[in-house]
Amino acid sequence: MTRLSLVLAILAVLGHAQTTTVSIKLVGDPLVFRVENSGMIQRINNPNFERILRVFVIQPDGKPGPEPIAGEYAIERNHLLFKPRFKLQPGITYRASFKLADEAGTYETTVPKPAYVATTFVERVYPSAAVLPENQLKFYILFSASMSKGEAAKRIHLVEENGVEVKLPFLEIDEELWDKQQRRLTVLFDPGRIKTGVTPNEEVGMALKAGRRYTLVVDEEWKDAKEVPLKGSFKKQFAVGPPDRSPIDPKAWQIDPPKAGTDQALFVRLLESLDAALLQRFIDVVDEKGHLVMGKVTIEEDERVWIFKPDQPWLAGKHSLEILKTLEDLAGNKIGRAFEVDRVDQPSITGPDASLTYSLPFTVPAQ
Amino acid sequence: MKFTRLFALTLATAGAIAAASLTSGMQSGKADLKSAGPLAFGPDGILLVGDPMGAQVFAIDTGDSKPGKGGEADLLALHEKIAAHLGSSADQILVNDLAVNPLSKTVYLSVQRGRGPEATPLLLRVRNGKIEDVKLENILHSSASLSNAPADEKDRRGNSKRSEAITDIAYLDGKVIVAGLSNEEFASTLRTIDFPFAKLSTTTSVEIFHGAHGKYETNSPVRTFTTYSIGSKSHLLAAYTCTPLVKIPMSDLKPGSKIMGTTIAELGNRNRPLDMIVYRKGGADFILMNNSSRGVMKMSAANLDSYQAITKPIADTSGVPFETLAAWKGVEQLDRFDDTHAMMLFRTEGGGLDLKKVALP
Repeated sequence: MTRLSLVLAILAVLGHAQTTTVSIKLVGDPLVFRVENSGMIQRINNPNFERILRVFVIQPDGKPGPEPIAGEYAIERNHLLFKPRFKLQPGITYRASFKLADEAGTYETTVPKPAYVATTFVERVYPSAAVLPENQLKFYILFSASMSKGEAAKRIHLVEENGVEVKLPFLEIDEELWDKQQRRLTVLFDPGRIKTGVTPNEEVGMALKAGRRYTLVVDEEWKDAKEVPLKGSFKKQFAVGPPDRSPIDPKAWQIDPPKAGTDQALFVRLLESLDAALLQRFIDVVDEKGHLVMGKVTIEEDERVWIFKPDQPWLAGKHSLEILKTLEDLAGNKIGRAFEVDRVDQPSITGPDASLTYSLPFTVPAQ
Repeated sequence: MKFTRLFALTLATAGAIAAASLTSGMQSGKADLKSAGPLAFGPDGILLVGDPMGAQVFAIDTGDSKPGKGGEADLLALHEKIAAHLGSSADQILVNDLAVNPLSKTVYLSVQRGRGPEATPLLLRVRNGKIEDVKLENILHSSASLSNAPADEKDRRGNSKRSEAITDIAYLDGKVIVAGLSNEEFASTLRTIDFPFAKLSTTTSVEIFHGAHGKYETNSPVRTFTTYSIGSKSHLLAAYTCTPLVKIPMSDLKPGSKIMGTTIAELGNRNRPLDMIVYRKGGADFILMNNSSRGVMKMSAANLDSYQAITKPIADTSGVPFETLAAWKGVEQLDRFDDTHAMMLFRTEGGGLDLKKVALP
């Protein structure tokens, strides 16, 4: 050992011997790291807190994260506080390190993560029908609890009856079309494969082929909002029929009117399955005076029947269903306007329609 | 994500509208974002943030309006660094968009911590190789609603599950342009909102259609777009979710109008266009676009005015000629950095994210 290294070793031992250990605790709600009874922190002006106390995430490999976590410092009596900018995350280990002159301390804690049991499952998938058109436009997948975002594309599969997975049948977008609670995901078929004359359609064709059978598969590994996988995988089997290229025609709907003075439900037979979500919102019942009739909507028989139960008994007289023309069937055909309009053959249909609603009259007979 | 290519026009506009008037409708306080989606810079360091869950667009005065060179902008293993900074784990961090401040050249990111509906939306910026928060608790801001009459008006029964993803956002010449995609009806809403936002902001909403080969007309949601001057007119260059690249004159975006984009290129099947920028090199204009499966494409923008619309079926990608830049793989986000560089966010083979400044090709 050289003389210099000997001196350094002695200094190190002396330095170590002189270090005072200070205690660090995690206190309060929201949680704050508190360095307790530091004698030094009181004595320095304008302390550079970020050099004195740092809190790191400890990564799965045991090393601290590449930079300390963000937060704010404060001195409260003779304690130094660090308030993390973001709530500490269950399951993560944090290490706080304090060093100021001869005072030092470390504290490591893992925020407890509740041991959740897998309970979330796919409640249902719309459309409900067992036979879908070749140009089916979307699925709605409803979960029993909130889901996590960012992995939908790899958790949903379309498998042909021979077991071969259909390649890229859906529109994969990073935004993911969730509702606000992240309990319902809208899965659009790749519109480029549905639309006539667009390159993807001409090169690889529609994802679904009439006459074949498919299974929509949702993986069990998909995590819910609590980061717990689903209770089980989900499968929906269906057959595929010819494409539907016809607009919705409410004139053909069959209305079974209720009797006045009763709160009987109004039954409307739609003759084809329509979009489950839009059926909930796009049809209103209006009375003779143009007032909205309030009530509850349910949808039955594979979205072929629209049922309206009024809050108050029916009044006798003329009524109407006011239907937004942007209502869609399973293939995205709207009222009076197919998903694809042939501009050559039907020039009058192209472009937006000036009238937004379609009015379908019916009469509530007096008892 | 987009700052317009119409530099001269925009800078002239920015100069004409004093900074004070740009922030005149803004208030100091918490910018209460429900989500942080697509980003775009307006003039004077004002950052536009799409908030799809709040169905609104925020304009945030970042105060970052001094011209600069951006310093060290590259940041490898971005996910891990953001996770460390936010006291979280990399799997809980989603980077939703990237935008470069055209004045300071600072990179801004919209990020969420967590993946559930209670995730925290955040804006971060990268300065000198370090991640900083853009603190939203007390900041000069304004917002404009993206409510969707009449579909929202019809929601009298409550419990609506309707929401609208914001697929892209841009600023051009006193207007904020927002492309949306509903999770229910397959309509395609493109909105323009006058900026600065008024108390009751003036929003023009148009439906976008695609005419395949001059024959089949369909609603066509816009996946990504940028702005570009063709001849003397401002245009949107937009990529549809069904893949064609189209041009749309800005002057066509009038209330209730029917917009039919003119197809100028077909980008091929099983491919999603992600972001687009326009730049000038060697006296010529080019479009740079990153895609989900066809890598980064470079197209000449020189003859967009004279280019004939595609009206016939075509074998594969065609229209405006383009080259695929094989060296750049996994580019998830793209924005202009300066006249000669772009900022790109690369997904690495290990699943990480690297932020890199690259020379424009």
